Amino acid sequence: MHLLLIEDDAEAARFLAKGLRESGYVVDIAADGREGLFRATEGSYDLIIADRQLPHFDGLSVIAMLRQNGNRNGKQTPVLILSALGSVDDRITGLRAGGDDYLTKPFAFGELLARIEALLRRGSQPDVTTRIRIADLELDLLGRKVTRAGTDIDLTSKEFQLLEFLARRAGQVVTRTMLLEAVWDLHFDPQTNVIDVHISRLRAAIDKGFEHPLLHTVRGAGYVLRDAGA
Amino acid sequence: MAEPGAAGPKMRLSSARLAMLYAALVTVLTSMLLISVYLVTRNALEREIAAVVRAELADLSDDLRLGGLPQVAATLRLRADSWGRTGAVFLMADANFRPVAGNLSAWPRDIALRGTEMVEFDIAAHERGETVLHPVEARIERLPNGYWLLVGADTSERKRVLQSFGLATIWGVALTALCVWLVGVAYARRTAHRVRDYATTCDTIIKGDLTQRLRLEGSRDEFDALASAVNTMLDRIEQQTTTLRAAFDSIAHDLRTPLYRLRVRLEEAQLREELPREAQELVAPALEDLDRVQRTLATLLEIARAEAAGVATHGDAVDLTALAANLVELYQPGMRAAGLEVSMDAPGPAPLTGNRQLLAQLITNLLENALKYVPSGGRVDIRVHARPGVVSLRVADNGPGIAAADRESALRPFVRVGDSGARATGSGLGLSLAAAVARLHGAELMLGDNSPGLVVQCEFPVADTRRDAPDGMAQVS
Repeated sequence: MHLLLIEDDAEAARFLAKGLRESGYVVDIAADGREGLFRATEGSYDLIIADRQLPHFDGLSVIAMLRQNGNRNGKQTPVLILSALGSVDDRITGLRAGGDDYLTKPFAFGELLARIEALLRRGSQPDVTTRIRIADLELDLLGRKVTRAGTDIDLTSKEFQLLEFLARRAGQVVTRTMLLEAVWDLHFDPQTNVIDVHISRLRAAIDKGFEHPLLHTVRGAGYVLRDAGA
Repeated sequence: MAEPGAAGPKMRLSSARLAMLYAALVTVLTSMLLISVYLVTRNALEREIAAVVRAELADLSDDLRLGGLPQVAATLRLRADSWGRTGAVFLMADANFRPVAGNLSAWPRDIALRGTEMVEFDIAAHERGETVLHPVEARIERLPNGYWLLVGADTSERKRVLQSFGLATIWGVALTALCVWLVGVAYARRTAHRVRDYATTCDTIIKGDLTQRLRLEGSRDEFDALASAVNTMLDRIEQQTTTLRAAFDSIAHDLRTPLYRLRVRLEEAQLREELPREAQELVAPALEDLDRVQRTLATLLEIARAEAAGVATHGDAVDLTALAANLVELYQPGMRAAGLEVSMDAPGPAPLTGNRQLLAQLITNLLENALKYVPSGGRVDIRVHARPGVVSLRVADNGPGIAAADRESALRPFVRVGDSGARATGSGLGLSLAAAVARLHGAELMLGDNSPGLVVQCEFPVADTRRDAPDGMAQVS
């Protein structure tokens, strides 16, 4: 997977690139908006990570110009915006400008990694899926029913949404903020770990009494739904 | 609740009352002046007639002295036609009141015969084919041999003059009153208009548009002086606000960037396997501290932005009931785990226009506060209620509450109320951000006593036309 990182802060860029490379990505760095736009239009990238405040062109203009080109070529490279502007309105402006996700600095590297993974895998699992199987856990998305090893599991509607979000990204790390955004439509971090309580309830519902747990906590990052035996 | 402002519909017009009082005073004084002029004139005219009659009588008594009754009769005959010219009336009659000489055809009926007083009667005259009654004032003298002499003057001219004068007086008073009243009304309207204009402008400024200024009319009057003083004050406030906003924006960038690098370095250190275990263990709490600093900074910036924005006039359609239910659903498991009972009471949708994320933040902060301060076994009740023009939110608990004296300061940034144990977890910004968000939506966050416990209440004004906005429900997934 080939990523382009447009970031004018050399040290942050170096660390991010290093971390991403360690996670198995090929990373190119552009130090300003002009270079970023040039590289993005020339090379073939799977994902672009762009800082919002950049010399020459700011991140939003780069995205706008990329989108114009991209629409002509019929492809749409996902863009993740990094920004020191963190208010709700800044976020909305960023997403409206064509960004696919928005991360406010400072962020944990794990959060960035999880979001990159989510953006790259987006579309690989079509939305029309009606059934998801992970080991012996089965989700019926139409009937909103869950069974594990043939036994029905009762979930509240929010618990089902939570499980569905995790199941659609089975094997990927999902962070707490991603869950808050997707399941509760909240774009800020509560001070208490409210999500943890929901996860432990969900875990009690789907894993309790089974030999192989499916819902795992990834320390410092989030959660993953995974068949450990596979 | 905030006062609706000076531009409300029931403004008492002190200038109007003053103008009306002034008009009434001027009217009374003018009437007094004109009425006394009328009375003095009438008196003068009456005295003049009496003097004319007296002079005629004096002439006739001279005739009587010189030539006796025949001389008087001769003089009267000579003057017989003088009524037409001067309005003088004469009649000499014998003891049986039969006319002897003069310009009256008969002795007037029913008049008193006392000598010194003026008598009044009407005489009929034929003028241009019509019979016209003329009022006359006269004196009656006794002559020798039982003869009578009547000398008088036609007072119709005087009556006409007085009538015209009276009419002029009435018109004068009426016109004066009308003019004074019109001037008063115009003055009062102008004053009220300018004051209302100022109040409207001030309302716009309070709602966040600091570029507005009071209008100067160039009349250099006291209103212009007031407006120009207020405008100077507003210039200064705007300048300070701009400086503050710029400072906050640079804080946003200048502090976040070094914090970001700090975080990057710490995370990098965490990944270095060659570092001794003790050093690695120092990194995790440092990252947690960094998170707290970042959250505090973000909250402060959010408060500053909300306060600087004034009152939001547009936004999304938000159903506060659905939003609160979503958040209660989010917090309920955590609260139950902490031993708290949670209840939500909302009879129906509560649509309002606003910023969904900020409103969610407001409710979240109230719920987190309860989670932080209410001890195990307590309860938290959330109520959302919509009535015409108002959507109200109420979060009540039976925790330690906030003492009445501390309630106002609890809404200020960095103030924490309660024991030091709870102090460690909060940034002390939760309630002040909630208050700022409430203000941004035209509401006031009110803290009260739930005896025991804290009750936080917030009433959002909503436009009545949006009461049936259906998209509020669709907003919440």
